[in-house]
Amino acid sequence: MSFDIYINYAFKKHCSKSYITPIVEGLGVDDIDRKLLNVIQSDFPIAKRPYKDLGARLDCSEDEILERIKRLKKEGIIRRIGGNFDSKRLGFATTLCAAKVPDDKINRFVEAVNRYPEVTHNYLRDHHYNIWFTFVAPNMKVINRYIEEIIECTGVKEILNLPAVRTFKILVDFDLA
Amino acid sequence: MLDDLERKIIHYLQGNLPLTVRPFTVLAEKIGISEEELIEKIKLLKKQGTLRRFGATLYHQSAGFKANAMVAWYVPEDEIDEIGHMMAGFKEVSHCYQRRIQVKWKYNLFTMIHGKNKKDCQDIARRIAETAGIKDYVFLLSLKEFKKTSPRYF
Repeated sequence: MSFDIYINYAFKKHCSKSYITPIVEGLGVDDIDRKLLNVIQSDFPIAKRPYKDLGARLDCSEDEILERIKRLKKEGIIRRIGGNFDSKRLGFATTLCAAKVPDDKINRFVEAVNRYPEVTHNYLRDHHYNIWFTFVAPNMKVINRYIEEIIECTGVKEILNLPAVRTFKILVDFDLA
Repeated sequence: MLDDLERKIIHYLQGNLPLTVRPFTVLAEKIGISEEELIEKIKLLKKQGTLRRFGATLYHQSAGFKANAMVAWYVPEDEIDEIGHMMAGFKEVSHCYQRRIQVKWKYNLFTMIHGKNKKDCQDIARRIAETAGIKDYVFLLSLKEFKKTSPRYF
């Protein structure tokens, strides 16, 4: 199946679930891997022997499941297996910041921003607001203080603070079927 | 409010689950509770919605998405409810938020879209624009990833 046809097919097939369907063909990922990746994204067993339960679902041994997951991690397909929490419910504040940074200052600015463990994402984008990063911190006061510190230490004065006021969608699963 | 035990549990769940036959035993020992108690607590956190999801997170790129873009839309306040839901309904949209505006930033609705390449992302944005009837937007292609990590809460 060609790339385009596959993407259309996959999109149509899973439209109703409103998943994003990525392509993992050509990455040494077989059907069992694909099924495994689907299950462990959305329905990882919270049980004493999770890898054994997965094996029972996919008709593999516990060892094989463990080996497959280890390989998929090593090959850079799985980033992490763990919990994803609702920051707001944990009482944390989050925001998106956008900064206007001159080209010759980008490296220094990124270094200053990334030093904060509370910064979780940071991207270069093609706009005059070119550096976009996110904070997850105990409260907005802390975030505002960090932004002040960043302004002071880098000399970059224009930083927008754009907290979400409403969430319409957070999609974290990728359907690989 | 969370109690100390819940904070401790979250501390261990925000990292990597051990790739051993009984991973929750390993974590339970570190936390100082039984495996059964930990499993019950995790299920409860999930039921409450505090734990949004437990499982694998994939790298977008290796999962087949070569390009992604943030698109910021200028949507009239009284239409934001309808249009926010409409944009969230697009399968190529992974995140959709209404954000606070500022004097220097009037774009109030944000979407993250994923595609094969830049053109694909632009086409998706155009399709969303047409469907929603919103002409004023900025297309912010991701050129470089400087950081992407999971939050550390406790």
